[in-house]
Amino acid sequence: MIKLFSLKQQKRDGETVQHPGTRQSAAQLRIQKDINELNLPKTCQVDFPDQDDLLTFKLIISPDEGFYRGGRFSFSFKVGQGYPHEPPKVKCETLVYHPNIDLEGNVCLNILREDWKPVLTVNSIVYGLQYLFLEPNPEDPLNKEAAEVLQSNRRLFEQNVQKSMRGGYIGAIYFDRCLK
Amino acid sequence: MKVTVKSWTAVATWRWVANDDNCGICRMAFDGCCPDCKIPGDDCPLVWGQCSHCFHIHCIMKWLNSQQVHQQCPMCRQEWKFKE
Repeated sequence: MIKLFSLKQQKRDGETVQHPGTRQSAAQLRIQKDINELNLPKTCQVDFPDQDDLLTFKLIISPDEGFYRGGRFSFSFKVGQGYPHEPPKVKCETLVYHPNIDLEGNVCLNILREDWKPVLTVNSIVYGLQYLFLEPNPEDPLNKEAAEVLQSNRRLFEQNVQKSMRGGYIGAIYFDRCLK
Repeated sequence: MKVTVKSWTAVATWRWVANDDNCGICRMAFDGCCPDCKIPGDDCPLVWGQCSHCFHIHCIMKWLNSQQVHQQCPMCRQEWKFKE
C-alpha cells in the first residue's frame, strides 16, 4: 500500500517535469526532432550534461582517418530560441592546430554562418565538422599560420598536427594532449 | 416500419496534398500546424515556391523576412517565388 502510494507520487512528480506549465518553444520542439533523428557516424558521440535541456550539449569527434586520426575533439553546441532560423552557436573546446579553427575555439564552417538554412539539422553540422577534420581547408583560414604550413608543406603540417595532439609547442603555443 | 431521422452527425476528414509529409523548416507534419499555431487548417496554410518546394506559410515567411539580400528557397537555394 505504501509502495503503491509512493509510485503514484513518483508518477505525478514525473508528469510535472514533462509538462512544466508552458508549451515547449518552437526551438525546443524542433531540436527534439533533430535529436530523435540523429544518425551519428561511429566517430561521433553527443553528451547532454542536463537531460532536461536539449538546447545545450557537447559533441565529441574522434576522427579515424586523415591528419587528425586518433585525436579527440570536443565541441559545445548552444541552440538559441531563434533555431532553426538561426544556426546553433558551436565552439571547439579542445585547443587544436587546424586552419579552420582558431585558438579561441571559433569554427569556420560555411553552414554555421552564411550558408545556414533552416532545413539543415544538427546532423548536417555534425557531418560538416567531421569533414573539417578529414579535409582541412587552407583557403579562408581562421588560423593563418596553420593554413600557410598546410599549403606550403603538407608533410610539415602533418608533423605539426601529430606534435600538437601528443601535447607540445607549435611556435609559441602549447597544445594539450588530446590523443585518445 | 417507419423511421424518422431526428438528428445526424456528419464526419469529414481533410488533408493537405503536398509532395512531402513534414515541413522542412519546423519538421512538423503538414497536416498539423507550425509551432506558432494551435489549430491546423486554413489558419496555418501551406505555400509552394516555383521550385515546387512546400512549407507552412508562417515558417517560410519568417525565413524570407530574415534574409536581407537574396530570398532563396531553403531547400534548393533557388530564388524564392511563390507559385501562382
